[in-house]
Amino acid sequence: MSEIKIEPIEKYGLSEKAKPKSQFATIGIVGCGNTGQSIALMVASKGIEVVFLELDQNKIDQAFQEITEELDNRINHWGMTEGDKRSILSRIKGTLDYADFKNCDLVIESILSRTREASRDIRKEVFKNIEKHVSEHAIIATNSTTLVITELASELKNKDRCISLHVSTTAPMASTIEIVKGLHTTNEVCEDVRKFAKLIGKTPIHVQESPGLITARLFVSLISEACDVLMERVADMESIDFSMKNGLGLPLGPFEMADKIGLDRVIRWMDNLYEEFGDQKYKSPPFLKRLVRAGYLGRKTHKGSYEYDEHGKKLNTTILDANIHN
Amino acid sequence: MKVLVLNCGSSSIKFQLLEMTTEEAIVKGIVEKIGLKGSFLKSERNDGDKVKLEGEILDHQTGIEYILGVLLSEEHGAIKTLDEIKAVGHRVAHGGEHFKDSALLTKEAIAKIEECAELAPLHNPANLKGIYAIESLIPQVKQVGVFDTSFHQTMPEYAYMYGIPQALYEKYGIRRYGFHGTSHRFVAEQTCEMLNIKMEESKIITCHLGNGASVAAINNGESVDTSMGFTPLEGLIMGTRSGDLDVGAFMFIMEKEEIGLRSGNTLVNKHSGMVGLSGISSDMRTIEEAAEAGDKRCINALKTYDYRVKKYIGSYTAAMNGLDVLIFTGGIGENADTTRRGVASDLEYLGIKLDHSKNDGLRGKPTVISTDDSRVKVVVMPTNEELVIAKDTTRIIGEQ
Repeated sequence: MSEIKIEPIEKYGLSEKAKPKSQFATIGIVGCGNTGQSIALMVASKGIEVVFLELDQNKIDQAFQEITEELDNRINHWGMTEGDKRSILSRIKGTLDYADFKNCDLVIESILSRTREASRDIRKEVFKNIEKHVSEHAIIATNSTTLVITELASELKNKDRCISLHVSTTAPMASTIEIVKGLHTTNEVCEDVRKFAKLIGKTPIHVQESPGLITARLFVSLISEACDVLMERVADMESIDFSMKNGLGLPLGPFEMADKIGLDRVIRWMDNLYEEFGDQKYKSPPFLKRLVRAGYLGRKTHKGSYEYDEHGKKLNTTILDANIHN
Repeated sequence: MKVLVLNCGSSSIKFQLLEMTTEEAIVKGIVEKIGLKGSFLKSERNDGDKVKLEGEILDHQTGIEYILGVLLSEEHGAIKTLDEIKAVGHRVAHGGEHFKDSALLTKEAIAKIEECAELAPLHNPANLKGIYAIESLIPQVKQVGVFDTSFHQTMPEYAYMYGIPQALYEKYGIRRYGFHGTSHRFVAEQTCEMLNIKMEESKIITCHLGNGASVAAINNGESVDTSMGFTPLEGLIMGTRSGDLDVGAFMFIMEKEEIGLRSGNTLVNKHSGMVGLSGISSDMRTIEEAAEAGDKRCINALKTYDYRVKKYIGSYTAAMNGLDVLIFTGGIGENADTTRRGVASDLEYLGIKLDHSKNDGLRGKPTVISTDDSRVKVVVMPTNEELVIAKDTTRIIGEQ
C-alpha cells in the first residue's frame, strides 16, 4: 500500500480569484467573568476561535475552570457530549497580552467595574488598547448596556468601527443580540455584526443608542417595582415570583431573574440609568443594596434574594427566611 | 462516461468520481472540517495514489472547488477538463412526499428541496450548498438529486401514518418517511441478482446496520414499511440514537431532569443508543470486546440491540405475510458476525436457519449465510450508496 502524501491545498484551487475569507474566524473578548464566559462558549460552540484577555493568570485559570464546569454541567444535563466539550475547549485561548488580538475580526469588551465613572474610563482605555493591536478592519464592540458606544469610541482613531453589541446571557435559551449603532458607526459594520449574530445562531435586534437598551431598561423597572411590592408587604418574595411566572408566564420571577443576572450588576444598571435619566424609577432599591453589601450577589455567590446549592439549584429558602432563622 | 457523486454534510463532503462503463470508482475522498480549524481534503485514486491536502476550506463552495482541482490535477487527478464530468449526483436526505424517485435538479426541483429543509434541518441545507456550488462552478453540467426517502414513498398510508390527529399530517407533513432508501434498494437488487430471483416477486427484509440503522420490508420490489420515521431517530437502537422510545417516558425525563428541547434532542440523538446502554462507546467492536471481557452492561446492550432488530424482522414478516430473503448490510451488518448470529438465531419458526459455519468470521463479502434447507435465504450484501447515486444519475440524465 502506498504512502499517503501531505501537501498544502492552495495550489489545487480552480482559479486565482479571491477565496471567500471567513469574516469571523477569531473573536476576542476582554474580561472573562460570567458574561465573557457565556459569550466565549456561545461563539466557540459555533466553531469560531476565541481569545479572551484577563488581568492575571489566576483569572484565566479560574475562567477555564468555570467554563469547564459549565460544559460538564451541560453534559450532565444531556445538552452535549464529551466530544463537543473537547472541541469547544480547544477553540478557547486565554491571554494576558492585547497583542494576541492581532488576528481577531471582532473584539468584544465585557469587563466588570464597580462605578459608572470608573467603568467608562476603564472601558475607554480598553478600547484604545484593542485598537493598538487589531487590524484596521477589525470591529471593536462593547457588551455594556448602560454606557453609550459613541462615548466609549470617542478617543479612538477609527471610531466608525465601534459598535455596541449586547448579548443576552441570562436565559439559557436567550437568542437575541441587541445591536446599537453609534454616531460614528458605519452601516457596513452594523451589517457585519448582524451577520455575526446570525452566524452564532442569534437574532439581531437593532436598537437606538440609549442607555439600558431594551432588556436592561425594562428589567430594572420590573425588579424595582417588585422590591416595592415586597417592602410594602403586599406579598412575600416567593408569591411575587410565583405570580409572575405562573400568572404572566415569565420563565423566572423578578427576584430569581435578578439573582441570575447578578444583584451587583442589576444595581450597576440602575445607578447608570438613574445617572443618565435622573428618574426616580431607576433608583436602586435599598433591599438589593443591602444584599450586595453583604456579598449576596445572586446565584454566583450561592446567596442573593434566594439561597442556592453548589450547582446553582435554588433552595426553598429566600434570604429573608434565612435571616429570620439565623 | 464519468459521474461525480457528492454527499455533503454540515461540515464534510464525501466525493467519488465513477466511470460508469465499468461502474468503478476512479477517485474517492472526503473533505472534512469545513469552516473549522484544521480542515483538509483526503483523496485516493484507484491506482493507490493517496494524498491529504491541508489548508483553509471555509465553505462548501471552496471545498468543491478543491475537489474539482484535485480531479483535474496531473499528480492526483483523473480528468483533463471539467467537461469530462457528464453529470453530478447528489445525495439528498429528505425529499418529502414530492420526490418519489431521483430527479433532475431543475430550478423547480431545487425549490422543492428547499421546501423540505424544514423536515431535515441538519441535512438538506448542507446538500443544497453542494448543489449551489456545482451550479456556480460548472453551470453546464447536469445535476441529479438522489433522495434517502424516495424509495420508501411506496409505503401504504396505514404504514406511514402515526396515531396522532390527522390535522398535524395535513399542516406539517408529520408522517413516517424512512431513510437509507438508496442502501435498502441497492442491497435488495444486488441480492436478487446474486440469488437469481425476481425482486418483483419476492418478500425481502433488509437490515442496514451502521452507525445509523434501519430495517425495511420490501414486498414485490416496493418498500412497504421501514423502521425510521419522521426523522432518523425512530426504530432500531443505534450508535448514539435511542430508536423507539415512549414519548411519555421522554416527557417524564425532560420534566425530571429539567431540560429543554435542545438538550432533550441531544439526549436521544447523541447520548442514547449503544453509547447510552453500554456506558462506554458507540462503537460495536469496543462494546463486543468489553462484553467478551465480562462487562455486564455491554453484554446486555448487545442483547437489547439484537432483540430490537429481531422484533422488526418478526413484525415485517407479518406485514408481508411471509419472507423469502433476509439481508444484512452496513458497517455492522456486513462485519459483525455475532450481531448477525444474535439477530437471526432462534427464528426457525419463520423459516430462518443460520449456517454458523458460513456466518462466523465473515466480513464484507456478498454471501449466503443460511443453511441449504433454510426456507428463507439469509444474505450478507455490502452496500454502495455512491454507486446507486451514480447509476440513478446516469439513468435520469439518459431519460432527458
